[in-house]
Amino acid sequence: MQTLDAALNIVLYGSLVIHVLLMAVVAVRLWSGSHVIDRLMASDMLTNLALAVLVLGALIYHQNIFLDVALGLAALGFISVIAFARYLTDRRMF
Amino acid sequence: MENAFDIIVNLTAIAAVCLGTFFSMVAVLGYFRFPDVYTRLHTTGKVGVFGVVFLLVASAVKAEATWGYALVLIFFLIASSPATGHAIASAAYRLGIRPHNAVRNDLSDIASRDSGTHPAKFGTKPKKDS
Repeated sequence: MQTLDAALNIVLYGSLVIHVLLMAVVAVRLWSGSHVIDRLMASDMLTNLALAVLVLGALIYHQNIFLDVALGLAALGFISVIAFARYLTDRRMF
Repeated sequence: MENAFDIIVNLTAIAAVCLGTFFSMVAVLGYFRFPDVYTRLHTTGKVGVFGVVFLLVASAVKAEATWGYALVLIFFLIASSPATGHAIASAAYRLGIRPHNAVRNDLSDIASRDSGTHPAKFGTKPKKDS
């Protein structure tokens, strides 16, 4: 039991490190994208990776508040991608 | 004697976290390696979302108080990722990006029909009506 808990902690911290590194890589791509659609997809993927980091924080620190923040971040990312894609094509959002 | 239920829960959580991390890494790798906007949407829209979904499965299994949040988030992510993918693909096509190495283009008549109604480039003025 103790060894399995320790193994789960090691796996969680390794996954956290990997996700933060992936966020850094995608943020570089967001900064220097070739096209505006490329940057929009990079921001979408950055939202997904931030969600993953928040879920890992909820698992590591045993706090439910991280999942509340994750729910708000998911809704904001969805609305922002839809609105920005609409703005790019029609030059207006609504 | 250890509790068998805790062992199963921990092993499931470890497997789900490893699978979610693998999916996120594959998503970012595909995002950097694929040649085209429309092929990159496969990784950002499906694989990247399922990386988060497997981490949420681990959260729902391991922390008992959070399974409601986890189920709501899984449902929301699976319901919203096709909408974002369609919005990005539609915006890319209307901005003039064509599929890379495409054999045939099913949307060519739609593009010619829409070219008068939709401003396809930056700097053009929007329509006044509607």
